[in-house]
Amino acid sequence: MNAQCDILVIGDDEASLAAAAAAAKAGARVCLLRAGERKKRPAATAPAIPNFVWRRLDLQDYDLTLEPVSARVTLFGEGAPLATYANPRATSAALAESGVADHLLWSDFLEEASALPGDDYLSASYFNAAAPGGRALAALLGDSAGLARAARLFGPCADMLDDYFSDARLKAHVAAHALANAGFGDREAGSATALAESYSEDAWRVRTPKDAAALRAVLEKVCQDVGVETLAGKVTEISAPSGKFIVVSVGAEDKIRTRRIFFATPEAALAAGALNGASLGRADCATFTIRFKLSEPVDPPGGDDKALFQVIDSGADLQEARDAAVAGRLFDRLPVEFEFTPNGEIVARSSYLPAAFYEDGEWRGWTGQDRQAAASIVKERLASRLPGFSSRVRRTESDIAAPPTAASPFAGCARVTVQPRRHDSVSAAVKLIDQVIAGDD
Amino acid sequence: MIETVKDAQQSKSAGRIEGGIDAIVIGAGVDGLAAAAYLGKAGLRTVLIGAGKEIGGRIAAREIAPGVSGVDGEHLVTVLDPEVIADLDLYRHGLEYAARRLDTTYFFDSGDVLRFDGDLAQAALLSLDDDGDRETLEKFMGEVLEVAAFLRPAFTPAAFHSADAGHQRALEKALGAASPELAARIRQMLFSSADEVLRARFGDGPLRTLLLAEAAFRSAASPHEPFSFMSLVRRFAGEAAGLQGAAAYPAGGALSVVTALRRAAQLAKVDVRAATPVTSILIEGDRVAGVTLQDGGQLRAPIVVAAVDAAQTFLKMIGPASIDIELQRMLTARRAEISTARMQIVLKGVAQDDATRRNMMRRLFYAPAPELISAAFIDARAGRVPERLIVEAVFPTALDEGAALDKRQVMSVMAHPLPFDEKPDAARREEVRTAILDSIEMFAAGFSGRVEAEDLRLPSDEASATGASAAAYAARPDLLRQLAIANAVAGAGRINGLCFCGPEAQIGAGLSCASGRAAAKAALRAFRRSAP
Repeated sequence: MNAQCDILVIGDDEASLAAAAAAAKAGARVCLLRAGERKKRPAATAPAIPNFVWRRLDLQDYDLTLEPVSARVTLFGEGAPLATYANPRATSAALAESGVADHLLWSDFLEEASALPGDDYLSASYFNAAAPGGRALAALLGDSAGLARAARLFGPCADMLDDYFSDARLKAHVAAHALANAGFGDREAGSATALAESYSEDAWRVRTPKDAAALRAVLEKVCQDVGVETLAGKVTEISAPSGKFIVVSVGAEDKIRTRRIFFATPEAALAAGALNGASLGRADCATFTIRFKLSEPVDPPGGDDKALFQVIDSGADLQEARDAAVAGRLFDRLPVEFEFTPNGEIVARSSYLPAAFYEDGEWRGWTGQDRQAAASIVKERLASRLPGFSSRVRRTESDIAAPPTAASPFAGCARVTVQPRRHDSVSAAVKLIDQVIAGDD
Repeated sequence: MIETVKDAQQSKSAGRIEGGIDAIVIGAGVDGLAAAAYLGKAGLRTVLIGAGKEIGGRIAAREIAPGVSGVDGEHLVTVLDPEVIADLDLYRHGLEYAARRLDTTYFFDSGDVLRFDGDLAQAALLSLDDDGDRETLEKFMGEVLEVAAFLRPAFTPAAFHSADAGHQRALEKALGAASPELAARIRQMLFSSADEVLRARFGDGPLRTLLLAEAAFRSAASPHEPFSFMSLVRRFAGEAAGLQGAAAYPAGGALSVVTALRRAAQLAKVDVRAATPVTSILIEGDRVAGVTLQDGGQLRAPIVVAAVDAAQTFLKMIGPASIDIELQRMLTARRAEISTARMQIVLKGVAQDDATRRNMMRRLFYAPAPELISAAFIDARAGRVPERLIVEAVFPTALDEGAALDKRQVMSVMAHPLPFDEKPDAARREEVRTAILDSIEMFAAGFSGRVEAEDLRLPSDEASATGASAAAYAARPDLLRQLAIANAVAGAGRINGLCFCGPEAQIGAGLSCASGRAAAKAALRAFRRSAP
């Protein structure tokens, strides 16, 4: 089969579907390439769908119900959990109640964090996955305030938190939620980007209530309705014969002629075998996801099954876990993020796993045993926070997303855009695909 | 004798106010010397004052073992600014290279050895068996050198960028010429970690290992952090003895750069005063007015160039009350964590034949396995001395006929990464010493048996010799942070007539003098503006 389009979106998560639909709605010819394998079941929470996307895709015409995650909660090894909320005033009040002296600085912190990504050379090239020309770089080099801001934004998360807060538990909580997504250590350069965008407007995740249509299914329907041509399979080769088109071979027979390839998330890029050109050192880690089916439900911490939970023992865990991933080994005190699905399952994730293992002086890839070992660490971590959990686990499904080891068919292709890992991936992907298309015209 | 000179000077200036000076340069390191020579050459009555007894800052000759003299500070020249050499006529003032393009030998844990005739930039000459590897390296180094040459203007010290519209225009013009392909490559090299860049290009072989070690060498950023690849790009943007990316050994060591600069300064009629510590920089209104000396004297001048570290300049000599809060935050924000140690080792019983001597006329570089380098950074950050260190070694006594010793050789070593200590105790020094000697033993088996004496030099030692803050001699942070700090200090707290060319003004490690030149140019503009 042969297809031709302006932009080829590869991936099947919410951000890819929304970006493909939004581009088609704006008049572009869009192909969507989904993985040929069985579909992964979505997690309980998804990135927020901001208003402008809602309107662009006419989502009011579909039967879609979403509710925001109730809270970001951190379950420490010792002491009471700490929670922050979408509403800054609710957060300040809750922090005050938990005896955190820093609660007065919360809104100042939010303000600075979300204002850090600007329109300078570095922000534009990182967040918009673009390569602005040298003129923008020269402008940044001559602007000392801009450089100071960029050094903060691309510096360590811990530096920024230290500026605002003195309470170690609050710092650990904020860092855990901000950095879990990309598996950053809090003291490594670049980690403050995750902190800044974790407080952007659309970074608060949403849930689908019980019995409502799944977000992904709705977005698939939207794609169909707006004329996105959907294909399934894996990219095997890319050639650039001439002019403005490249030819993407899928499987043995299919060919797609397109101007651009777009990945809405780095996960989608990894799954297709592509690497992100500006990944801030993320090629060293893998994301492990595991779904626990339980014989009977466990009580959620604090009775709230609509929150997003982080499990860490202390703030130092984040950097140590990252160091372990870089060194190619599993970390016992693995930081784990988890959530309850509407039907009482638990989905847990961690991005602090090594991309490959270093053993006896050699590197090797993931094996079934490693997956079991990772699963049992996650299980133990959850068991330490959820009474009765271990005995009720009936079945598990796990998945590992590691950077590709084989030669990438995308290597050397300049027309590939990969969005960096973000908390507000749907919102950012739609904005980015608009820019990519506008840039081609 | 030196003491009497100092006493005489003290009694001379104690309590007195001295005027009639156009410019004062604080700090007699290479950047201070270069700045003073430029100012003197432009006709300004210039006084250069250094706190220590010697001129040259951290680069100084010292007896490292009975009867053996060594030179502290840098042991190679890799990024010496070619404009300074030309403008100040350093070759005429005695700068001479004993070796213009040092050949490098790389040693690996596997026992493999790679010999480069010339440096990395000349991959074509390398002794690789595999032609595929050679081609990959050649292509890769071609790209790195292209990006490095292109970004060179971005690595020049930022003295008064914002005030200097001409510089900004030139920078925009230079960088604006990037083709889309080059812009994409710059973006990738900028954001990626050294590990990512190299892993994507090279397999698990020795080339990845040696490039990773070169990128991590002397940098505070671990090679797994973003922007870490840029430290390699920075090094290849430099040139030594007119060759991009080369390493050179001056006759007489780095001290000869000091000597040549000093002659240039003398010829320019700069009044050089050693052992004259400054306590404060005088600010009147929004202008600099001179300096106060420790003996109570005052020197007054409309221009002050600070060539000492930023903490001394802005927090001690000027005081936090007179500088803006952003600069203060930048200077105090982060504690230094990583440092490089220098060690000079006297070896006895070294064979005298030509083959041995030729082997010692190279730059030796030990590149531990990438995993050991990652582990070393994690250890050093946590304040532990790593087991294996990256080691760069040269033999001044073999390279330089003038320094040759009878039946003995001096090996000069830089080892990295080590934890940074403000005040290392004896136990810590012993740990560092052992780690360095063990790492050398990895590539020179049986070496320890030949050690007659060794001399360890940590940042705190250099600081106590020059009166600087030890943190100023810690390893440089990632490129982005360096640029931010360099830009902030170059603004000199918005005090008219004050220019800064301390170590924080320089991008990347190594002996450069470019910030001294930039500060002198800025000072000249300020002087002409202020002159009636």
